[in-house]
Amino acid sequence: MENQREKENGSFKSRIAYLKPYIASLLEPAKIIWQDPLGRAGSIIFLVICFIALFAPWLATHNPNEMNQRIEGSVISFNEDKEWKDYEIIGDDPINDMSSDENTVVAVTEENQVIIAQDDRWEEEEIDPEIELLAVTIFDDQIIAAGRSGQIAIRDNDSWEYETIPTEVDINALASSQDNSEVLAVGDEGSVFLYSDADWEELESEENQDLNAVDFSPAGDAIIVGNQGTIMHYEAKEITDPEYEAFGEETFRDLYDVDYSLAEKAFAVGERGTIMGFSGEAWYSTSGDTSRELRGVTVLAENNALAAGYHGVIQHFDGEEWYSLDRITTRGYRGIDFFENQGFVYGVDPYINELAPPSTEHFFGTNHLGRDIWSQVVYGSRTALLVGILAALMVNGIGFTVGLVSGYYGGKVDNLLMRIVDIMYGMPLEPFAIVLVLIFGPSLWIIILAIGLLTWRTNARVIRSQVLSLAKRPFVKAARVAGASNLRIMLVHISPNVLPLAFLQLAVAMGYAITAEATLSFLGLGPPRVYSWGTILHAARLSGAWRVAWWWVIPPGIFISATVVSVFLISRSVEVMTNPRLRGGNDSAPEPEESEDVLPHGQ
Amino acid sequence: MNQKGYLLKRILQMIFSYLIILTLLFFLFRIALPDPTAALVVEGLSEEERQLVQARFGLDQPLWRQYITYLVNFFQGELGISFHYRGPVFPILVDRLYNTLALMIPAIIVSYVIGPLLGVLLSWKRGSSTEFTGIVSGLIMRSAPLFWTGMIFVMIFGIWLGIFPTSGMRTMPYEAAHFFDKIFTLDFLWHLILPMLTVAIYYLGLPMLIMRNTMLEVMGEDFIELCRAKGLSERKIMYHHVARNALLPVVTQAAVTVGLAVGGQVVVEVVFSWPGLGREIVQAVQTSDFPLAQGAFMMMSGVVLVMNFAADMIYSYLDPRVGQGGGK
Repeated sequence: MENQREKENGSFKSRIAYLKPYIASLLEPAKIIWQDPLGRAGSIIFLVICFIALFAPWLATHNPNEMNQRIEGSVISFNEDKEWKDYEIIGDDPINDMSSDENTVVAVTEENQVIIAQDDRWEEEEIDPEIELLAVTIFDDQIIAAGRSGQIAIRDNDSWEYETIPTEVDINALASSQDNSEVLAVGDEGSVFLYSDADWEELESEENQDLNAVDFSPAGDAIIVGNQGTIMHYEAKEITDPEYEAFGEETFRDLYDVDYSLAEKAFAVGERGTIMGFSGEAWYSTSGDTSRELRGVTVLAENNALAAGYHGVIQHFDGEEWYSLDRITTRGYRGIDFFENQGFVYGVDPYINELAPPSTEHFFGTNHLGRDIWSQVVYGSRTALLVGILAALMVNGIGFTVGLVSGYYGGKVDNLLMRIVDIMYGMPLEPFAIVLVLIFGPSLWIIILAIGLLTWRTNARVIRSQVLSLAKRPFVKAARVAGASNLRIMLVHISPNVLPLAFLQLAVAMGYAITAEATLSFLGLGPPRVYSWGTILHAARLSGAWRVAWWWVIPPGIFISATVVSVFLISRSVEVMTNPRLRGGNDSAPEPEESEDVLPHGQ
Repeated sequence: MNQKGYLLKRILQMIFSYLIILTLLFFLFRIALPDPTAALVVEGLSEEERQLVQARFGLDQPLWRQYITYLVNFFQGELGISFHYRGPVFPILVDRLYNTLALMIPAIIVSYVIGPLLGVLLSWKRGSSTEFTGIVSGLIMRSAPLFWTGMIFVMIFGIWLGIFPTSGMRTMPYEAAHFFDKIFTLDFLWHLILPMLTVAIYYLGLPMLIMRNTMLEVMGEDFIELCRAKGLSERKIMYHHVARNALLPVVTQAAVTVGLAVGGQVVVEVVFSWPGLGREIVQAVQTSDFPLAQGAFMMMSGVVLVMNFAADMIYSYLDPRVGQGGGK
């Protein structure tokens, strides 16, 4: 028993011993690559790419499929001649409301920020405890801000003080009368509050729609608008709406803003491009040339008004009709505010951060859908390496076997196999892959298969020529005389000697496979929903934005080139080893023991 | 075996290879599209009409008959009717082939003139930093994917600098009575420059590196020693003796490259909207135009085979040892 085990062990050991030359002939090139400076550079690049591919989920800063949004608070200022200034970011969150008088401009956001303009600078303040601010108004020298759950704070002499009013509903809008005697606050469920003489009082409205805006006229009366076409009139501490009752029939659409700053004249705007006008006696419905939601309206002067809304729409009223002004941005504005000679369009709704140039948030910028290009490139390295390695193994597997058999047996076998190689040489790779995709549909496997089935031709030829010369060597003859089988000679005596060459071919095949995969994916033949460097460029080309968005085009190409260059550098080190005459002065690859002329064919 | 016998053998081999490829193609497309009329039914073909079409195209016959018909038609230059163009495939493809050649031949000439010259320089400057940069940039040029360099070129020269047109062969609309009328114009040259440079740069690296490598090999040969002993100038040795002998693999590679460029460089045509064979096959796939894709592939692989054959012939002509060995 013991004996037999020893015997088994021994035979196992002797079998392991056969692997030794294989391992040695694989280690040898590795050593040589590392000693050659170019080879070392190549291996380092290659290892970095492997690292990126391996740790892609950790290295990717975003989900590559996520359409990244930008959230910011911004204003575009304009003057009464409608000269527009640049888009200016003044806060981290969308601005919900703005108010201004001759000294002060103030904006509020839902994240409890109050932004006040002072000497052309925007200063941020916070209210403690926090309020999700929805509305703000300037009342004399006080600032009143209100928000969700009926919270209201008043800023007096640089400090904020809480006000208590008897409600839990959201306060959507505030307005102070032009003589600074009273403030109206309107909110959800038809609630209206009046602030006068430092006291809040709820007014009976007989309305339960949410109210969105309120504005005073010079005469001291006010108009309140709300959802589903609600329009109410306020005068002398009472809400009346007798003659306005008819507006409900004019529109059922939600109204978001109203301007009543000129006597006997008002505009209200709302969803789907609704614009309502008030002639002093009756409301009439009018409309501009947009069907997008309008969120704010302001009257600059008689026969001169502006409305702003979704998707960067700005409508202008010239006394007769409303029409669109050229878009400054395509972002969703939340309102518009004007006082004397300066006004602001403010907002903006969170928007898709499309085609953003590189920044610390998006290293390689974003594409036309706001997707992070760095993350896509990182995931793309997985595809490239997967296809590269699998295809190269397949190519080498077939090529090595064919070359070995063909070179060793020679004669008819060789002739047959080489004719097959000739046929393979008659088929160009890309068109072949294109035809396969046409027939079997796009997938990664088709790409691997196309590369693997076709490009082994070069390997087979190169390996064959090496085997041809090896088969005539004395040690092969000696083995044959000693009674070794053909298989044994091929595997034990010849293969280890061909391995360095096969290794070189493996690297070349890999570089070739990576380029081929990128090319096919670029043509749109790659599988959908799998990121590869080629598909990123395909998407860039398809969108048309690639002509300007250089950050979308350059990184994937650099990654492809770097990967392919790295394997070429590695293969070149091995090539120099197998053919010392190629060595220039900067090559410090060591002298190999024997030289064989095995320059591979260029693909 | 003598030269003639070798030539004949290679021609027969080539025809045999082509037949195999045609056969493969026939069965591949049969697997993909057992009933080509199915593609037409979507466009409102009634059952009777469909059967009529099937009969007209011989689709009701057994497979082997269809295969024979396919081969006979092929040799008569009938490659079928394009679904998309609704016309015979062959004339369309011949036109596209000319367009492709008009792009690829100048590009390959440029790269195979400049490349070997650079290769000579590199081998001459062996061991210097010039050689080092040369090798590395040669490798980089071969590694950067063609479509990407093309896109970068379009971005820089077409969009930012606005010097070159970015798509097509000619400014639309144009009138050209025939092919040469179309290409012997300044307008064509103007359109040619960017795509040609893209291809030329890609192909430049290979002849450069091959030239350098073979130069280094030839320089080690005995007869060069002899030249030196005769006291010939280094310049004369380089260009007259070494380079001439080293050109052989470069010339062979040039022929192979023409074949590969015509058959393989699909992407450049796509990037530059060049109306060549490559773009046609991609469009054929996008529109599921099976006859057109099949015809384009046939044409490409035909060109590749012929150019490989030409490469072999050039090689055996330049190096008579090859023919005697009975093929490589």
